[in-house]
Amino acid sequence: MRTITTDVVVIGGGAAGCYATLCLRKKGLRVVMICKGLIGKSGASIFAGNLVLSGRLLGNTEEQARSTAEFLIKYHNQFLIDQKWAKRCADWIQDCYYPELEEIGLYLRRNDEGEVVTNPGKIRGVAANVQGNSGVPFMDLRRKQIIRTGIERYEETVVTALLKRDDGSIGGVFALNYMTGERFVVQARATILATGYSDRLHKRSTGTRELSADGIAMAWRAGASMVNLEMQWWHTNDVAHPITWQRVQIYPNPILGSVHSARMVNNAGEEFFDQQKDDPMAFGPYTLQLKALYRQVQAKKARYDGDYFSGFDHIDKKEIDAYTTYSKAYKQLGMSGSDHLLETAVTAHYRQGGLLVDNTTMKSTVAGLYVAGGVGGHSNGLIALATYDGKVVADSVAADFDLLSVEPVSPSAADIEEKRIMSLLRSEGSKGCGPGEIKRQIQECMWDHVGVEKSATSLNLALEHLAHIRQQALPAMRLRQSGTLANYEWLDALDVINMLDATELIILASLQRQESRGPFMRLDYPDTDNKNWLAANIMHRTQSGIRFERIPYELPTFQPGFERKPNLEVGW
Amino acid sequence: MNIVPFQFKPSQSQDSLLARNTLLKLGDIVKIQVKRSEGGANNYQSFEVPYSQHMRVLDALNYIADHQAPDLAYRWFCGSKMCGSCAVRMNGREVLACWEAVLPEMTIDPLRNLPVIRDLVVDRTPYEKRVASYKPWLERDEPYSGFPEPLTHRDMKSVSKALDCISCMACYSACPVIGLGDLTNFEGPAPLVQLAQTMLDPRNGAKKVASTLESIDIFSCVSCYKCEEVCPSHIPIVSMIIEPLKRKVAEVHPEKARHALVFKSIIARRGWIDPTELVLRTQGFKALLNVRRVITLLLRGKVNPVKTLFGRAKVSAAAAARFITKDKS
Amino acid sequence: MKLAYYPGCSAQSTCAELNTATLLVAKKLGLELTQLFTATCTGARELRAVDPLAFYSLNVRILALAEKDNLPVMTVCNTCTLNLLDAQTAFQEDPALAEKINERLAEEGLHYSGGTRITHFLWVLFEEIGEERLKSMFVRQLPGLNVAAFYGCHITRPPLQYGFVDSRNNTSLERLAVLVGSQPIDYTGRTECCGFHTAAEDENIAVNMTANHIASAKANGATAMVTPCPLCHTVLDTLQPEMNKGRKAPFKMPVLHLSQLVGLALGLEPDELKIDKHVVSVSNINRWFGRPPSVVERELA
Repeated sequence: MRTITTDVVVIGGGAAGCYATLCLRKKGLRVVMICKGLIGKSGASIFAGNLVLSGRLLGNTEEQARSTAEFLIKYHNQFLIDQKWAKRCADWIQDCYYPELEEIGLYLRRNDEGEVVTNPGKIRGVAANVQGNSGVPFMDLRRKQIIRTGIERYEETVVTALLKRDDGSIGGVFALNYMTGERFVVQARATILATGYSDRLHKRSTGTRELSADGIAMAWRAGASMVNLEMQWWHTNDVAHPITWQRVQIYPNPILGSVHSARMVNNAGEEFFDQQKDDPMAFGPYTLQLKALYRQVQAKKARYDGDYFSGFDHIDKKEIDAYTTYSKAYKQLGMSGSDHLLETAVTAHYRQGGLLVDNTTMKSTVAGLYVAGGVGGHSNGLIALATYDGKVVADSVAADFDLLSVEPVSPSAADIEEKRIMSLLRSEGSKGCGPGEIKRQIQECMWDHVGVEKSATSLNLALEHLAHIRQQALPAMRLRQSGTLANYEWLDALDVINMLDATELIILASLQRQESRGPFMRLDYPDTDNKNWLAANIMHRTQSGIRFERIPYELPTFQPGFERKPNLEVGW
Repeated sequence: MNIVPFQFKPSQSQDSLLARNTLLKLGDIVKIQVKRSEGGANNYQSFEVPYSQHMRVLDALNYIADHQAPDLAYRWFCGSKMCGSCAVRMNGREVLACWEAVLPEMTIDPLRNLPVIRDLVVDRTPYEKRVASYKPWLERDEPYSGFPEPLTHRDMKSVSKALDCISCMACYSACPVIGLGDLTNFEGPAPLVQLAQTMLDPRNGAKKVASTLESIDIFSCVSCYKCEEVCPSHIPIVSMIIEPLKRKVAEVHPEKARHALVFKSIIARRGWIDPTELVLRTQGFKALLNVRRVITLLLRGKVNPVKTLFGRAKVSAAAAARFITKDKS
Repeated sequence: MKLAYYPGCSAQSTCAELNTATLLVAKKLGLELTQLFTATCTGARELRAVDPLAFYSLNVRILALAEKDNLPVMTVCNTCTLNLLDAQTAFQEDPALAEKINERLAEEGLHYSGGTRITHFLWVLFEEIGEERLKSMFVRQLPGLNVAAFYGCHITRPPLQYGFVDSRNNTSLERLAVLVGSQPIDYTGRTECCGFHTAAEDENIAVNMTANHIASAKANGATAMVTPCPLCHTVLDTLQPEMNKGRKAPFKMPVLHLSQLVGLALGLEPDELKIDKHVVSVSNINRWFGRPPSVVERELA
């Protein structure tokens, strides 16, 4: 088996992984990039709809700068964030991020007079070329930057395990190119995990097809601690039909160059959410929408999987089409964007939680393993934040570089992994179900019991169900074919194991947090409990199982201003 | 003699997106033939899939993988027209599987003009290598002036369209010139769109533009608009990408645009095109070497040397001369 | 019906027979054509690429000439049709461009307001005359003709101009073939490209591409092809000998202009329609009319 030796291995080809790679390369380090999909074409980064302006950029007032920070802390993170980190990040976005992107050629949308087009309001955003599609040219540019540097890269290649050295530190990875079937080992002084925010763990998920919580599962198996895994964000405005369009969002964000945005209507034809009227912060009101939808579901005027409608039928068509892609779904269905609403449904979106990291160094709790972007548990949901992580992790690895171990991974580690991977390829017999079928069972279990509404009862039911899958279905799992070329069943088999590991951790973390907070709704604990739970919900892996730890967040700039009240009455 | 009569189908009379989305009802059966790699060159496997609301080609493939052929290989990531990885051919036409409505009867094939890895999965490498070989990035002559730099959407109109490209390669598969293989060095539509992203960007340096366009074979484009027809991003590839690129080539490397420039000068002088003059001036006298053809064309009245030498439509020629921009040379 | 007739360059040079046939056929159909003698070339593909302002101006000038007579303009060439349509769109969507063009048109006392209807002879047949009336005017049927319709590109694509989601759904030529009593043939080339626009410089693309189309038409039983575009005709017919080089069984595929096919059905004679001016000649055109060929003839063919 081939062993590639390098300085740093980066797992993931989204905003964080690409930027970490580019920064490390600039510092003269050798990097190998491994991407389960295609660099800049898979993962959550391509979905970045618009780009938020931080600080005093493009004439932002002091108040707008403050609102933006407040939005990130309250609405995106429900105060479960290090506010000092958020400040550092916002400063970097203001001073470095936009200039660097524009210098390499990103087209931030102008009008014919040459002004950068923004949306009006308390929090302003811009778009790369077209709003709703910003992530596509953004990540395409990153892809080309990576190609330009000639960095060694492996695409449609899945990392199946983090490999350890004898001293317990991470010394590289085991990888499988599922197009060719080749397995290989990459040995590196530092391993950067950048596998993203979102996963397809639920029946409806915004993650791309290949995302199966590999980062969380592999890191946990390697001994890394996790934080706030229960904090799952939900989209409420994704198209319900066709099934494949579960990531086609009717964006509730303010529209560039317009004072309007999408509205939501229940099955009785009553409007229950208009972004401009109902969201005081006027930007990305996902949690408030979810709460509004919860009320409709309670009143039987909507379901989480449909029977409510979203659209722009109250807006001039020209306003939608001037700078956005928001009417693309309507047009493709043969409708006009301005006079129809589309049936929409809830979709599992980003997970705020992830690996526990030191946000000044992006080190995980396992030596040699670093983190960048959404798989970290330190923040949630913007392409700029993921990019900032790429910079921080590159600085940190470079600073540590001379101190990092150069020892190879344990020789047995690769052999064990090779055996595990090849054993999954078994295709003899036809008793068991295929991995695709097991994946679906897991996703349905998560949707039914670990969805928007949760309780100890539903969560325990889900655990039982998953244990059953692990004990019964998994050992009997069979593939239709044992070929190694583009064998997606083989990939699914690997995914199933990661999904089982990750979903169980997520459910245990959900049971631990005994409150409701923003998008995390527990029917048995309906209050937001700042006294006890404005805290990091940390899981450590121990010899005997799991040890939970709770560490309160500091609140230097923004405070919630109450100790306890029903989550539904909280305005974020 | 074998006769294959043309069959009129009712669907042909109403060829709109709305019609395509209303052909099937819930519970109807979609009949699908999928090209498989195993079992020979013409192995199509048949499936029946129950129609679900607004069903896309990708939904049908997912249904097949879930219920009938878990070993079917097909690529997709986002399911929402952003990653550009799921293009296939449906009934012979390139479509993005996640975006295209299913038809009652469909045959699904992998894209053309690229090697097949397995079933519907093609090797993207030849396309990626081609794009990379043009070094598709900005190299500025002037240092970057700081955010926001001076730039208007008017300057970026074509680039903005080019930036909608998701590299799905549907057009690369549909392009008949790419289909001719090594006969030309034509870049293909998608690579040209990728190239246009920086070549038509006013921020790109003149030296970089000139050096990149030096090796380009853009005049092998036949202007058939197949690329525009299949582009899921609705990029006007011919009119807003290829033509502006041709213009750029004609500016910086006029020798590569000889045919177009001769054409222009003939109109400027005559008001209309004399094909004989066009061919002679573009190809030179080698055009006369095919003696048999020259004689045939003379006999059938298809060339008229008298008209070529002396014909000139006065009013038209005057109008054309007024409108056509004079070349510097 | 009165129309401003714009023949384009090809029909006045390499495909002069198209012009002759069209004028005869129009008369039979009761179309009153006013030829735009002072019009220029529409610029084909070349001018629009290298000098867009001139391209738009020359095309709008043609539309203005027709507008002066308050007539719709009728073409017989796909590329001219698309050029005029594209110029019309640009004129309507870009007021600054429209103003600039009108300034230049004013120098010869012309002005364009934007309303000239652009139509191709093929559409005139369906939209102005109609299938019913055509049928009643057709005095000759062609049951011995198995015709492969070759649309060419610029009358079916781009989708933004013609609205076809799938350009293969254009069936007007096949419908016409049925009206003249012949058998329309299905084959892979129907809406494919002939490669004309690269041919003046290098024939290889056109020859290779179009050989496939003719081969498919022939394999599927076509005895002739018909096209609404003189540029396609030039490749299909004039370049056919090039395609036959090195070919064991030469194609010998006659190619008709749309006007010629309609003319035959209207009772005009092949030599009036100048079918003999094509490079590929028809061996026994009488077989197309009336009686089906005998077994002996079939074998000889």
